[in-house]
Amino acid sequence: MNQTALVSIFRRVKRNFWAVPHLHVAATGTIAFSLLIAGLFLVLYTNVNDLIAVWKKDFRIIAYVKKEVSAGQGKALRDTVNRMEGIQTVTYVSQEEALHQLRKQMKHRSSLLEGLQTNPLPASLEIELVHTDPDEGRIGNVVRTLEGFPEIESVEYARAWLRRFTGFVTFFRLATLVIGAVIFATTVFICSNTIRLTLYARREELAVMQIIGATDAFVKAPYYLQNILEGLLGSAIALGILFGAYYLLTARLAAQQVLLSAGNMRFLSGWEIIALLLSGITMAWLGCYLSLKQFTKS
Amino acid sequence: MVRATVDSGDAVIEVFHVFKRYGARPTLLDLNLAIMKNEFVFVTGASGAGKTTFLRLLFLDESVSEGYIVVNGINLQRIPGKRIPFLRRQIGVVFQDFRLIEHYTVYENVALVLEAAGHDRHYIPKRVRQVLRMVGLADASEAYPPGLSGGEQQRVAVARAAVGKPPILLADEPTGNLDGATAALVFELFAQLHALGTTIIVATHDRQLLEDAPGRIMKLQSGRMEIQQPCS
Repeated sequence: MNQTALVSIFRRVKRNFWAVPHLHVAATGTIAFSLLIAGLFLVLYTNVNDLIAVWKKDFRIIAYVKKEVSAGQGKALRDTVNRMEGIQTVTYVSQEEALHQLRKQMKHRSSLLEGLQTNPLPASLEIELVHTDPDEGRIGNVVRTLEGFPEIESVEYARAWLRRFTGFVTFFRLATLVIGAVIFATTVFICSNTIRLTLYARREELAVMQIIGATDAFVKAPYYLQNILEGLLGSAIALGILFGAYYLLTARLAAQQVLLSAGNMRFLSGWEIIALLLSGITMAWLGCYLSLKQFTKS
Repeated sequence: MVRATVDSGDAVIEVFHVFKRYGARPTLLDLNLAIMKNEFVFVTGASGAGKTTFLRLLFLDESVSEGYIVVNGINLQRIPGKRIPFLRRQIGVVFQDFRLIEHYTVYENVALVLEAAGHDRHYIPKRVRQVLRMVGLADASEAYPPGLSGGEQQRVAVARAAVGKPPILLADEPTGNLDGATAALVFELFAQLHALGTTIIVATHDRQLLEDAPGRIMKLQSGRMEIQQPCS
């Protein structure tokens, strides 16, 4: 395609826009709105994932050691457990260390611990698993093995939290997929209908072009170009609004020193921004493709 | 019944045993003819005789049901879809209802042909102005078709058909919507293009035009080419 054809195509893009400007504004607005929702979900998803990663890192199984087990036997047990599959680290916490930690945690209420004659806290093993999703089945296996050791009194871990967490992660992923698919389909449908209306308004022009020997590329290029520009513009608007909202929210959270403040929250990465822009373009392009295909058939 | 003999010597259009049916209804029946380079041919016949269908087959706006057509050495039944636009650039078409793009100026309507063909951007304005001068519309280049008379619109359509210098020009009832004087003006343009070497095929049932016809007259009747009157 040479310079003349390109100039003609751009002129037709401009002409098509001014023929039905409200339709193109509506299509761009739809893309912007859809990607705003998708982007919002993506920001939420990445931040929740970050939070989950922190939780996963902090996930521990505590195995309490029987009182009659000596410190030497406890350390030997630590080494045995450390060799088990799926175990990242095992830390032996003696009775004295446990009490010391408790005193540190309760430094403002230390008087409560002053009357203690003996150390009531048991020694324990703090077990950190290999960093993957905390999976109840895998954790259950580790717990059962630990409970089989005669030196171990009891094993504790956040069972209820783990159940809720697993359910939440599954729901969140599913919701992301469903919402993503619905947004995608809706936007493609709206873009496709916008182009269909433009094509209908331009049907005589299209017929004339075919008669005079215009190639398919020459006839269709303005519509693709127009939709790609709308996709790009819609995505950019969505990203702009999203970043503005993120900026205001983090500034407000930082001012109020909320736990999830600016330092903990993050915006989309460069790749995620590119992916969002490409999604906008893809939706617009696909809408155009489907519409042109149907129009050409009819 | 006189049948056209197929002579491929200097023929630009050759039609071999062509049938065209719409469903079970036959429109063209066993058409055989040849049209020579720089011929001026009139295709006549009553409404529904198949004149428009015949012209549409020539620029592949329709395809034959049986038989085959050769245009400028290209067998239309074997042409790949991607090559159709290039075939159409060799054939200018003028319609009874003009088929101009209403929101394009006269200049843009004519220039579109050259833009679609990818001509040099310096050549396009020169050539468009030249053709608009030829059809007497040099001063109307910025006008829009709805602001022009029927005769002027048809002259724009002729300019559009001629601007790409196609070797063949088809005209389907080009004077159907025009008064006698305007029709004569349009025919004068065809004569000019013919003088420049273009093969002209006009489908018409305008008796007045046929009486003054400068070329061969072919008559379609019930889908068959009944009479072929040689050049007068």
